[in-house]
Amino acid sequence: MSIRSWLKRRRLDEDDFQDEIRAHLAMAEHERMADGADRETAHYASLKEFGNVTLTTESARRVWTPWWVESVRGLLSDVRYAIRTLAKNPAFSLTVVGVLTLGIGLNAAVFTMLKGIALSPVAGVDGSARLAVIYGETSGGRELALSYPDYQYLRDHNQAFSGLFGSSLGKANLGRGRGARQIWAELVTGNYFQVLGVRAERGRTLLPTDELAPGAHPVVVLGHGLWERDFASDPDIVGKTIDINDRTLTVVGVADAAFHGTTVVYDVEAYLPVMMASELGFNFGSQPGTPGGVFADRRATMFQPQGYLKPGVTLATAAAQIDALWAELARERPLAEVAQRLKVVPFWQAPSGAPLVLLPTLGVVSAMGLLVLLIACANIAGLVLVRGLSRRGEIAVRLALGAARARVVRLLVVENLVIAVPGAILGVLLAQRGIRVLAEYAERLAAPERVFFNIEVDGLVIGFAVAIACLCAMVFGLVPAFQSSRMDLALAINEDASPRGAARGRMRAGLVVAQVAVSVLLLVGAGLVTRSLEAARQANPGFDSRQVAIAAVDVKQNRYDEPRGRVFYRDLVAAARADATTESATLAAFTPLGFLDTPTRRVAIEGYEPRRGEDLSFMSNTIGSDYFRTLRIPLIAGREFDDRDDEAGTPVVIVNHTLAQRFWDDAANAVGKRVQVGDAAWRTVIGVAADVKYSRIDEPPRPYLYLPFLQSYRSNMILHTRGSAPVNVLMDQARAHLATLDADLPILYVRQLADGIKGALILLNLAATMLFAFGVTGMALAAIGTYGLVSYTVRQSTREIGIRMALGASRLVVVRGFVVSGLRLGGVGIVLGTAAALGANTLLGSVLFGVTATDGPSFVRALAIVLGGVIVATVVPAWRAARTSPLMALRHH
Amino acid sequence: MTLHSSRTDARTELLHGTLDMLILRTLQWGSQHGYAIAQTIRAQSSEVLQVEAGSLYPALQRLAKRGWVSAKWGQTEANQRAKFYTITPEGKRQLVREASRWTELVNAIGRVMTPSKE
Repeated sequence: MSIRSWLKRRRLDEDDFQDEIRAHLAMAEHERMADGADRETAHYASLKEFGNVTLTTESARRVWTPWWVESVRGLLSDVRYAIRTLAKNPAFSLTVVGVLTLGIGLNAAVFTMLKGIALSPVAGVDGSARLAVIYGETSGGRELALSYPDYQYLRDHNQAFSGLFGSSLGKANLGRGRGARQIWAELVTGNYFQVLGVRAERGRTLLPTDELAPGAHPVVVLGHGLWERDFASDPDIVGKTIDINDRTLTVVGVADAAFHGTTVVYDVEAYLPVMMASELGFNFGSQPGTPGGVFADRRATMFQPQGYLKPGVTLATAAAQIDALWAELARERPLAEVAQRLKVVPFWQAPSGAPLVLLPTLGVVSAMGLLVLLIACANIAGLVLVRGLSRRGEIAVRLALGAARARVVRLLVVENLVIAVPGAILGVLLAQRGIRVLAEYAERLAAPERVFFNIEVDGLVIGFAVAIACLCAMVFGLVPAFQSSRMDLALAINEDASPRGAARGRMRAGLVVAQVAVSVLLLVGAGLVTRSLEAARQANPGFDSRQVAIAAVDVKQNRYDEPRGRVFYRDLVAAARADATTESATLAAFTPLGFLDTPTRRVAIEGYEPRRGEDLSFMSNTIGSDYFRTLRIPLIAGREFDDRDDEAGTPVVIVNHTLAQRFWDDAANAVGKRVQVGDAAWRTVIGVAADVKYSRIDEPPRPYLYLPFLQSYRSNMILHTRGSAPVNVLMDQARAHLATLDADLPILYVRQLADGIKGALILLNLAATMLFAFGVTGMALAAIGTYGLVSYTVRQSTREIGIRMALGASRLVVVRGFVVSGLRLGGVGIVLGTAAALGANTLLGSVLFGVTATDGPSFVRALAIVLGGVIVATVVPAWRAARTSPLMALRHH
Repeated sequence: MTLHSSRTDARTELLHGTLDMLILRTLQWGSQHGYAIAQTIRAQSSEVLQVEAGSLYPALQRLAKRGWVSAKWGQTEANQRAKFYTITPEGKRQLVREASRWTELVNAIGRVMTPSKE
């Protein structure tokens, strides 16, 4: 049987059937005429005898249609009907769609971020959430990366991972001379792209054959973005050379466009073979002169190896296996100061990874997002409830005519779904726009660092939006639907005036209470985070960032050796100091409050015997003379570095107050003591500086050391200039000095110190922005919802108002009655909301700074706003109702 | 006032089944067109069973769908165009099944209505 005839068999052959009916009629007619009837009589008699042709055809047709086609048809007619009904009531429909769009949009946006961090943290890599990470932990609980030889040992001996790669994020200088700029690059092992399954868009990826011998692989794979921006998507890029960190590397490929490296949030623009580490100037704290360099030095910690577990291997088994290997390695090659034990964790739990840093904040934000959704649902439930009442007549007639209750409920559910779907679509669009705006804001905050957010709105996000939209439709649609379908028919048909059933009143009251309570919760949360941001902005980080311009260069980029570099920096500081407006100028390797921790150095304290496994690695900075004066950091004891502290002088060091107190009890005692930093000579402490916030505003006090630039040269330094002139003038002056000294030396950046440290607040800033938006949205929705429900109640009582006013009640008394009952509901909501907010403080604690979760002002502010909203939402409709004349109100019925 | 849906189904099924059986029985004597089938049933039942066109033609479609009859256009003795239905072997087997069920049913009802005295 051919497909066509099979298809034909599936349905009624309409023409043939009509033919058959005509034949039937003709025969009947013929017979009647044979019996003597005239043509016309025979014709009509036959037709009459046959009956309803359309109905017959219809039932013949139904023989061929499967049962489900019928129900789909029914559903479609429900949908058509729903669209017609909703179109007839555009105010209601648009309000519901709008509210839903807001609720779903916010949540879809939050979900997109969660997805980008937990579900698919590495853009362009399928299943990246399954990546597992190995890191070391010292006995002091400090996380460590692993050295290359340790990585190699684990990679070659473990049975748990199907592949184990390493990648280390670093800043690299791209290009030479004036046009050079800094980019984020990853130094990666040869199997990096293979394990991740990332392909090259052009040329090839890096391969295991790029990891054969140190220094033997001068190649690079470009990120798609870099190729597009800096090389105008040059189709012939493969084979060309580029300069990175003063080395000429051959481009062998361009990575897939969707891939942005494995360091979440950082936009990685180039991938370098790990074997080029030394040539490119990455030494990972390895001491110069270690035989074999960074590839043999077990103290040069490079990366946290990661990979996919083999099928069937759990994290626990992997951890046990890696632990055993580590014990073996420690026996073979003992080394006291490396990590005490290794841990295996899922990618998002990797220490100091962005997911771990971001998740608590995102958790709070998602909780707030769900609260907004809750308000939106309550809001819509209120609207549907009110509308359900006005449709009582219609539903009652349907039920009376014999419609099954299930059928009526289906119609109402379909109606809600018809609203939910556009809500979901618009919500996704809103999320897409909103999250783009937020990402751009974050990019601006982070500039000039390049950041990348995996915030693509994909099928998962759309699925999520549709799912919660349908869930909402069920929640806000079903309850009122059931209420409507379970009504007393006679009552609803006969008595147009709605009997205010106790159950419905309770439901309305419940919706008001819920919206008020949740908006209290939201506003308290938003208030707390906003106050945290204020507190963090005003917190004293221990230094004065105002009126300081900073300018960063790396003299290595113009091939300066150490002696020339020293001269350059001496001249630079001298030129800066010579400006009339300059108060003081200095050099430093790092600026404080840089958000990320800078590398630590192992320290030995003279006369102090470390406990077994005690962690004596601290962060340090290399600074010039006048540093503390320039940043206005108080010196508690001793003196600053000056020009005497050069190569010829005694090795010296300045420590911070916390370090001095930890080892010598008191700052004054510290001066004159000796410490050893790294494997270098013993240094004498000449000063103790007050603590500052080194990375983040909320960090606890920690030991810190300062080394004099003249005794520990580095090629990359940052000029700091404090002056009375406006900061842009200071910045221009810095640029001018650099240009005068060496016009070809690339300037990495020139900016205000105050701008440079705002990165430390970026997370709090974003959280505050989002929560503030959520709070305002939630509050607005709750106010609208309360207003709607109260004005509905008032409208229902028009007759009562009329009678009372006709009997002499004053307008004030009538209004007061409604306001009191409205406020009673609002009051219950506020009490519940406050209790919930107090209960939720553990959740919020993780993102707060400088305020406690029971912060009075935040609560007072939130309560005042909510109370104000409730009053307005009750007084206005009550007042309007009271203005109707008693006669009108009475005649209404 | 509404009929419970499952009951409705049971009733129509019974009616369908009986009409289907009558049509198949009629066709056992040879191919016939719809009009003739109705006439035959009426005549055979001594004018008791009036098969309406509104039931007959859907029933024929149902039988055709199940493969119990096949249809073909042809000419009547009076030289008129008509669609002739022929019972298929599968239709004949179905008729046997239906007939025995019918006999069983009639006997059962008969026993209930006129209980034997033994």
